[in-house]
Amino acid sequence: MSDVDLTFVEQTVERIGTEKDKVLEILQAIEDEYGYLPQEALERVCELTEITPASIAGVSTFYDRFRHSPAGQHIVRICIGTACHVKGAGLVYDAFQRYLGIPEGDDTDPEKMFTIGKVACLGCCMLAPAIQIDDITYGHLTSEQVPVVLRDFLEQERVRSQRREVPVRARTEKELGEIRICLDSSCVASGSARVYEALENAVKETAVRAVVKNVGCPGMSFLAPIVEVALADGTSFRYARIQPEDARAIVLRHFRPKKVGPKIKNVMSTVLDKILTDKAWESVTRYSVDVRDRPVAGFMDKQVHIATEHCGHIDPVDLDEYLSNDGFEALQKCVSRLNGEEVIAEIRRSGLRGRGGAGFETHLKWSWVRSEKSQKKYVVCNGDEGDPGAFMDRMIMESYPYRILEGIAIAAYVVGADEGRFYIRAEYPLAYKRISEAIEKCCERGFLGEDILGSGFSFELKLVPGAGAFVCGEETALLASIEGRRGMPRLRPPYPAVKGLWGKPTLINNVETYATVPWILRNGAEEFAKLGTEHSKGTKVFALAGKISHGGLIEVPMGITIREIIEDIGGGIAGENYFKAVQVGGPSGGCVPAELGHITVDYESLTEVGTMMGSGGLVALDETDCMVDIARYFLQFTQNQSCGKCTFCRIGTRRMLDVLEQLCNGEGKRGDIEELEHLAAMIKKGSLCGLGTTAPNPVLSTIRYFRSEYEAHIEKRCPAGRCKALITYSVTDDCIGCTICAQHCPVGAIEMKPYEKHEIDTEKCVRCGTCKSVCPAEAVKVE
Amino acid sequence: MPRLTIDNREVEVDDGATVLDAAGKLGIEIPTMCFLKGYEPSTSCMVCVVKVEGRDGLVASCGLPAEDGMHVETASPEIIDARRAALELLLSDHVGDCMGPCQVVCPAKMDIPVMIRQIAAGQLCDAIETVKRDIALPAVLGRICPAPCENVCRRRQYDDTVSICLLKRYVADVDLQSAQPYVPVCKAKRNKSVAIIGAGPAGLAAAYYLLQEGFDCTIFDERDEPGGMLRYSVGDDELPKDVLDAEIGLITKLGAEFKGGTRIDGGGAIDKLRSDFDAVFIAVGEVEKEQAEQMGFEAGPKGIAIDPGTYATNIEGVFAGGDAVRRRKMAVRAVADGKEAAASITQYLAGEPVTGPRRQFNTRMGKLLEGEMEKLMAGVSKEQRVLPSVGSDGFTMEQARAESSRCMHCDCRKADDCKLRIYSREYKARAGHYKSERRTFVQEFEHPEIIYEPGKCIDCGLCIQTAEQARERLGLTFIGRGFDVRVAVPFNKSIADGLREAAGKCAAVCPTGALAIRDGDGGNC
Repeated sequence: MSDVDLTFVEQTVERIGTEKDKVLEILQAIEDEYGYLPQEALERVCELTEITPASIAGVSTFYDRFRHSPAGQHIVRICIGTACHVKGAGLVYDAFQRYLGIPEGDDTDPEKMFTIGKVACLGCCMLAPAIQIDDITYGHLTSEQVPVVLRDFLEQERVRSQRREVPVRARTEKELGEIRICLDSSCVASGSARVYEALENAVKETAVRAVVKNVGCPGMSFLAPIVEVALADGTSFRYARIQPEDARAIVLRHFRPKKVGPKIKNVMSTVLDKILTDKAWESVTRYSVDVRDRPVAGFMDKQVHIATEHCGHIDPVDLDEYLSNDGFEALQKCVSRLNGEEVIAEIRRSGLRGRGGAGFETHLKWSWVRSEKSQKKYVVCNGDEGDPGAFMDRMIMESYPYRILEGIAIAAYVVGADEGRFYIRAEYPLAYKRISEAIEKCCERGFLGEDILGSGFSFELKLVPGAGAFVCGEETALLASIEGRRGMPRLRPPYPAVKGLWGKPTLINNVETYATVPWILRNGAEEFAKLGTEHSKGTKVFALAGKISHGGLIEVPMGITIREIIEDIGGGIAGENYFKAVQVGGPSGGCVPAELGHITVDYESLTEVGTMMGSGGLVALDETDCMVDIARYFLQFTQNQSCGKCTFCRIGTRRMLDVLEQLCNGEGKRGDIEELEHLAAMIKKGSLCGLGTTAPNPVLSTIRYFRSEYEAHIEKRCPAGRCKALITYSVTDDCIGCTICAQHCPVGAIEMKPYEKHEIDTEKCVRCGTCKSVCPAEAVKVE
Repeated sequence: MPRLTIDNREVEVDDGATVLDAAGKLGIEIPTMCFLKGYEPSTSCMVCVVKVEGRDGLVASCGLPAEDGMHVETASPEIIDARRAALELLLSDHVGDCMGPCQVVCPAKMDIPVMIRQIAAGQLCDAIETVKRDIALPAVLGRICPAPCENVCRRRQYDDTVSICLLKRYVADVDLQSAQPYVPVCKAKRNKSVAIIGAGPAGLAAAYYLLQEGFDCTIFDERDEPGGMLRYSVGDDELPKDVLDAEIGLITKLGAEFKGGTRIDGGGAIDKLRSDFDAVFIAVGEVEKEQAEQMGFEAGPKGIAIDPGTYATNIEGVFAGGDAVRRRKMAVRAVADGKEAAASITQYLAGEPVTGPRRQFNTRMGKLLEGEMEKLMAGVSKEQRVLPSVGSDGFTMEQARAESSRCMHCDCRKADDCKLRIYSREYKARAGHYKSERRTFVQEFEHPEIIYEPGKCIDCGLCIQTAEQARERLGLTFIGRGFDVRVAVPFNKSIADGLREAAGKCAAVCPTGALAIRDGDGGNC
């Protein structure tokens, strides 16, 4: 393999530096350049830097982002986040593997065209099941669509090479309005980038006095892409699920083109009305939405926007706009009028608790770090949201970067830190880009860097890209990762507040916590404390996904009930199935059954029912979801994401998974439930960090509320009809003999018999569900 | 100087001390596997967990700073449970056998692999010691033993079993024919006496081990000469009488008194013995139920009923073994019974709780998976099985050594000082509690000094730290994450490249048999 050109490695080391803690950054650059980590490149790095072979080998094999062998030309990332899992991501993965002819145990097809891999969460839960091929996202996939998707991708590739960049117009005073569209990752995944481009083109071609503006996410993922037209007179119109071809019509409806007479405008408007009301159009349902419409009103009504203030209105990276919306007012107030103690007192009165999951009181952490006597202190922002089924922090980072930076700067001022690190999860490139841009602009304008706002207080914030390891959300693991080591948690005490980054006192808070701080200081602690319950104040951002009608990103006051979230905001369960449970808090949380829908969402109540706030993923489940399968799903996640350090987590979670797999495979036996409970108790007691101590929660909560389902699995039944080994597919007498199932069956388990009742060969059947989803007569039965 | 309470005892320690240090100061022993003094605690094995008042769950004491006013518990049932669970989890992902399969099935649990390696190394004096530690009559058994060990010998799967029984016979014969046959060291006389009823293999073996413990032994037998079944039921061609006499001679030489032609029978006989002796061992061979009951024993269809762990009968101070309790008619089983009952009797006479012989803890790899045979055969002689030349009397030295080199060394090189094994025994961990698909067994032989068996690694990282301290250029590191994390040399290099300086040190700190010194055999002759 001596054919690897190492010039790039030398340049990279030159550019990034030779210190030990640069290892992740260097590895990422190498991975981006070569598509994997060639061994000779790593050896070269060791020769050129202080990084040792042991360190580089350990670090590069710890994080998911790195490959050690060349990949295919294109990378297919199949999201196996919770929402995608419950909507059949596993079947989609199998279909890719089958269709591409990837041999068992391998991940790349023989032609080295596509490499497939599972990712913890793409943060596009509303498009579940979602996949990403290179940077194009496809949503709502079923296994039989796999060939179509691959063809479409290759076609896109071809077109893309011919597409030209659309120049961005500078804003002028004369504009009559804004056309707003969100370009966050999940909206882009639903096609908003192409709509944005089409809108830009339409504005340019028609020369109307309007500006197309990228705004923070309105959160209504279920309607994405959403276009909002905001006119100078204050009126606004929203359009949902817009396609690029609708762009021109929308532009012409609201703005008078210079070159087109009124008559044409009217014609266009009529066409538009037709498009927007004709539901049968091109099989895509499109309609205009108005905030007065019921679903939207329901979705928006109960929300309170603090961390997501001004959602859907302001341009994420436009600093001026942030400033004109009271941006950096809180920081200004702090550095000019308040001392650290006063700020902490304000935070204490607000009752703010950490939004990262455990709910630790924010003011306490701040005052501990503040009270440490040390010349050097650090502030760290934890942007390593790795919970499958949660994407709040991603959205906040992408939509409100300045708000977080303001919160961090305030924290740094309070605790007396002059340096900080912002750690962002590897899977969030857009968040990284926007935060990076925002930091740069803040430094230019004096909100970060030397002598902030002329106060004499200086604070330098650096971005650190994560590399894909859920455990790095744990604070001590995060610190290890920033220091360029494997993300292994360590025993606390000493707490980071005493001994953190490079042994110095360090404040670590999560993205949402920092984003909430400026609001509190601007509006007063009392305003914040008015919201929520006795011990859980303010609001919490949740990612609402799964089997829900109107999913998306929501910010709700603490104390709202689960039922209100599911029914009122989420519009209930999609389709005809009934609401069975909601999974709260991802791999650290648990399932709250429908009958506990009256439970309020706050730290204490959730813990009491066997789950926890976690990072804030809410995945609704219906009766087709098997609770044993859900438990197995989470254990699979945690045992894979465990850092592999302590015995209970490394081996214990695997042994729990073994039992759950046996149950799902029909190999369960009496005593399994008790064995799970015993292991769970041991793991909770004996694990070193939060990942381990909470890992059994998904199992314990499902045993607690759905024990009968576990018992059914021991008797080799899956009541939800989910576990492949326990179900069979058959064709009922409703079969109309249309042959569609036989045509689509990927393994030839159905013989084509026109106008006769079809039959499924159970031996050949791989239970991919294709026949059921394509059958026009609903004649495929699962038992 | 923090002052804290551990198991209700106060202790003051230096600043920076851990709870483990503090416990040590009080003489409270807390098991540790991933931690060694002088190393950075990795708090990974979780065997050293303790309970700290006011803190959720259990905490690894090795990395926990001692704080003023702390209340620590180190041995509550909850803690013991957790330690056992940690050990069982580690065992569930620990590939390898502590003892070779041959030793496991040997009723006498003779350390066959060690004996074989001693033969291969020409250390026959050590070999006879190894043999006689568990088998009192090896020359006899070397001729008549059905050798269950050979049935399970792994080598069978490759070609044919190692001739274990013949090798043992070779060791014993060489010894018997030597000028000064091996005589074990006996402890000082303890002025306690044991009556042994029956001079068959069980009785003789019991006498052999009890005499070594310093007890006087009188062996009664209804026949005139000792040997029981060995003398009266086995043909001369199979077992020459001179061999039997010679081996019995070595036992009587230790001081056993033989009283032939004495039948102990009927009610009252046992009471009489109990008053004349401090303990009694019944090894009379097959006994009918009625006969046993007549003597005052509880009995079943197989003979006298005993506690299977201790060989104790229902009569205090009376133990029974051999065919009197099981009707197996297997001499090696009887010899084993004699040895094990001797252990119980020793405890009884020393006034200790009678728990029976020390049970050895063992993990089993079970059936070999594909490709594992090749790994195990690396460095092992691939020659065919050697059998003694026709008409000869057992192996020649060359034959014995050649045959010995066929042994695959299934047993662990750290069987005696593996912390996982020691603690597993202590905490009564069950090796097979978690049934799971096991990893492939791998042995890396590239290093001249040490052998690496990754399947036995518990990911403690002590070797990684050791290599780092030794400033190894490549060293070792953790590869991967989660359940599949493994210790390996960076860049897929061999262990020989990784450890140029610190190999021996790494093997020494490794708490299991994952890293072990290459030659695992005993001392010199």
